[in-house]
Amino acid sequence: MGDMPFRPHAAAASDAAVGSVFVSDDPRDIGWVKQNVPCQNACPAGTNVPAYIRSIVESRYGRSYEINREANVLPGVLGRICSRACEDACRHGWPGNGEPVAICHLKRVAADLKDAGHRITERLYAPTGKRIAIIGAGPAGVAAAHDLSLFGHDVVIFEREERPGGMLRYGIPEFRLPRNILETELHNALRLGVQLRTGIAVGNEPGQVRVSQLLADYDAVLVATGCMAATPIPLAGEWEKREPTEVPGIEYGLDFLMAMHRGVKKTVGRRVAVIGAGFTALDCARVALRLGGEEVTIHIRTAEEYIPITQEEIFEAKREGVRIKGLRSPMQFVLDDEGKVAGVEFAQNRLGGWREGGRRIAIPIEGSEFIEPCDTVIVAIGQQTVHDFSDLALQLDRWKNARLGDNGMTSQPGLFAAGDYVSGASTVVQAVGHGRKIARRIDAWLLGRERHRQVVRIEPVDQPLRERAYDFIPRQHMPTAPLNKRGKSLACEVETGMNQTTAQEEAKRCYLCHLRYQIDVDRCIYCRACIEVAPRSCIKLVGGVEIGADGSYGKLLETKEWNRVGAIWIDNNECIRCGACYNVCPVKCITISRCELTEVEVEA
Amino acid sequence: MSTVRHHVIIGSGVAGNQAAETLREHDPDSRITMITISRLPFFNRYDLPRVFRGERDWRRFIIYPAAYYRDNRITLRRATRVVNVDSASQILKLEHKESIHFDSLLVASGAGAYLPEELSEFRPLLHGFGAFRDAVTVADALPKGGHAILLGGDTIGLDLARTLLDTGHRVTLVAGPYTFWPHEVTPEERPQYIAALQRMGIVVVEAQSRGGIAAIEPGAKGLSARKLTFEDGSELAGDVVMPFFGIAPSLDFMLGSGVDIERGLLVTPNLRTTNENIYAAGDVCQIWTDKARRYCFYHGWKNVRAMGELAARNITGANEPWVPTQDEALHLTADGKIQSPFWEYQ
Repeated sequence: MGDMPFRPHAAAASDAAVGSVFVSDDPRDIGWVKQNVPCQNACPAGTNVPAYIRSIVESRYGRSYEINREANVLPGVLGRICSRACEDACRHGWPGNGEPVAICHLKRVAADLKDAGHRITERLYAPTGKRIAIIGAGPAGVAAAHDLSLFGHDVVIFEREERPGGMLRYGIPEFRLPRNILETELHNALRLGVQLRTGIAVGNEPGQVRVSQLLADYDAVLVATGCMAATPIPLAGEWEKREPTEVPGIEYGLDFLMAMHRGVKKTVGRRVAVIGAGFTALDCARVALRLGGEEVTIHIRTAEEYIPITQEEIFEAKREGVRIKGLRSPMQFVLDDEGKVAGVEFAQNRLGGWREGGRRIAIPIEGSEFIEPCDTVIVAIGQQTVHDFSDLALQLDRWKNARLGDNGMTSQPGLFAAGDYVSGASTVVQAVGHGRKIARRIDAWLLGRERHRQVVRIEPVDQPLRERAYDFIPRQHMPTAPLNKRGKSLACEVETGMNQTTAQEEAKRCYLCHLRYQIDVDRCIYCRACIEVAPRSCIKLVGGVEIGADGSYGKLLETKEWNRVGAIWIDNNECIRCGACYNVCPVKCITISRCELTEVEVEA
Repeated sequence: MSTVRHHVIIGSGVAGNQAAETLREHDPDSRITMITISRLPFFNRYDLPRVFRGERDWRRFIIYPAAYYRDNRITLRRATRVVNVDSASQILKLEHKESIHFDSLLVASGAGAYLPEELSEFRPLLHGFGAFRDAVTVADALPKGGHAILLGGDTIGLDLARTLLDTGHRVTLVAGPYTFWPHEVTPEERPQYIAALQRMGIVVVEAQSRGGIAAIEPGAKGLSARKLTFEDGSELAGDVVMPFFGIAPSLDFMLGSGVDIERGLLVTPNLRTTNENIYAAGDVCQIWTDKARRYCFYHGWKNVRAMGELAARNITGANEPWVPTQDEALHLTADGKIQSPFWEYQ
């Protein structure tokens, strides 16, 4: 795309001949896309969601997969286990618009329905001769390794476990993420010359590789070790200083899952209490059911509405028999005469205000304690980073995570960090996005210049790509395996994937927010026909428009007085891209342009 | 600017109608709008078993005639779905895109039948019993002397069982933890209540003793319309299968409203939610109870009616706490019959 002509601003798009494509680095255009394509803006990897969904409508599954892969190298994986920030932001889910598009399921569709012999596209740079060591083969490390190898660097990953994948392999049960999918996508990500050295721990113990040695041997080192330590449960009284896992029947969720995925045979009692409100807690509960737990209950501090798990996952867990009980904080463990766990004492909570990140505060109520009897307790209240593997002291932030400079480097020159090791426990897609971002920082540091820059690709479109009828298609459901097939199997995938018909129905629901509808006011005859047919109040008579700090358009200053009307304007925030205005316009003064964030190469 | 307050009530059941009546009494000049998803105006849900006695005229189930709403200046909007409540701007949105501003909002949307998630895949083969139309549908599907399989139980199902037996039908109850819901029955008490059900003529099958329900399928041609298979391989054939697993608050439209929710809308003892303009009453709310030190549901029409009245009084300036008004214990009569106070309706 480096040979495309630059033009300053999309306002000129209406003048361009249909079929011509140009790119813009105007902040107003970049700002427009960020503001108007909420799914892409919410995606930590910056996935071009409308484009890949449109490709599904066109039955171009391979292309859809490749569009995904430009932003993240694990579409088949994330199409199954993504936390879906995009769906929370989806315009289709805004009040009055219905339910969000099943963006995550459609990502999986692209991976599932592409041809078996699908050709992967990679843009390779010439070798640079630079050598980079990455510590950790989790999602951040793998994403960074992929991008750095494309940049022409020699990359070596050091992974302490026997197999790559990090949390994907050792933290997520197979019934949510089949291992053949993971294997394939990891292989695709690392096949461009990345050396994977598994079973090699980086640390300070004898026989382990020192971080300082890596720094000496390589041009740059990236730490992507994630958050691999369970967060201790904060309890009062005697449990304040006592290690709960010394009690038979109490275990941390992360340790429970990792041990199981390393091949350790795990067992649970008849009644299992899982404490926590994240995906790990839910996974532990569903695993516990499959291991023979009969009464498996997740105890949460707030309420289902406020926990960061998708409704579909909660429903499937409940369907399998998991119960969720809210408004309770663990106070202490109750032991039987033999010293085994016999229950958990909770206090009733009330809801307080909001925490950073949109979570609710729960406040225990004095004197409201009660006991829930159980035989096994799994504590899954979060994960945290550890730094004891490093022989080099790093500056940490107030959350005890590595502090990074703007160039992605830690306080040690040449030592970079990415993923959960930097952000604390987050999501797989955040780790992938951050790994990719830091890879660019490393490349820029090694070469002394950026090799890419962000622009908006603007392409005139000669007709609406949607029909009004698409707005009435209900959200399509992901088919799931019947309960009798799941049984006690840890490997039977619960979500079975959409077929072509269902996938295309769902894909049609996407508003294609990257389509920009504009009225050429010089040609408009103010007949109001577009206003009459608009299904929402998306076409407005305005006296002016506020201009944002970056020059992008802000709030529209509407008016109903004709003598104050400066323009008739399509409010792209309200617009659902139905095309009704375009079709009815008698003078064809409405134009459509596809505006997509992309990158162009910067010549040396 | 008008000083007439607009009170909006979501739901037109016992709580909503009692609230409307009290609001009209305490705030005579106000606007009152009652919104219900039901096509019928306020009807007596407790009377629905009458459908099995041949009563099919919906007019005979209606509590108040249309004139009642006209005379009391209550705007009743039927077959209308609220999709969203913006508590900050005091606006609720209806499915057909209309927005309604409120000065006070009472959520009295009640609860719908709860179907355990593990049975959700069988939903198309189950008969509901929450609305008049549901009752007519199941009555039509059940032949004379036919066999009804009730899953779970609960007091609504057991009340229906009494009528079904009385009208010559056979009833099998697949019992479980919900059988006496919402009554709390101890393991020690349970056998005597199960025995009482059996004396009534109900065939009781303990689901757990058969490993739970494995499948519900259409019956083969010429046989009963439904076949229920247990995990141990045993089967049960019936003309209809009806789930009775208690109720779940109807509050989808309140998600994201900014009002605190756990299983129900969380309210203070004076029935106010975390928004000062929004109250809740009836089966939709969980009331903070100082004595129990937790949020509790209270069921039964007497409780629900009292909640509707209290919420309305508090909306119009009172600040009184909720006090339960209904006996919630399950009883055995002298002649060994089971009796729930929730079956008493006047």
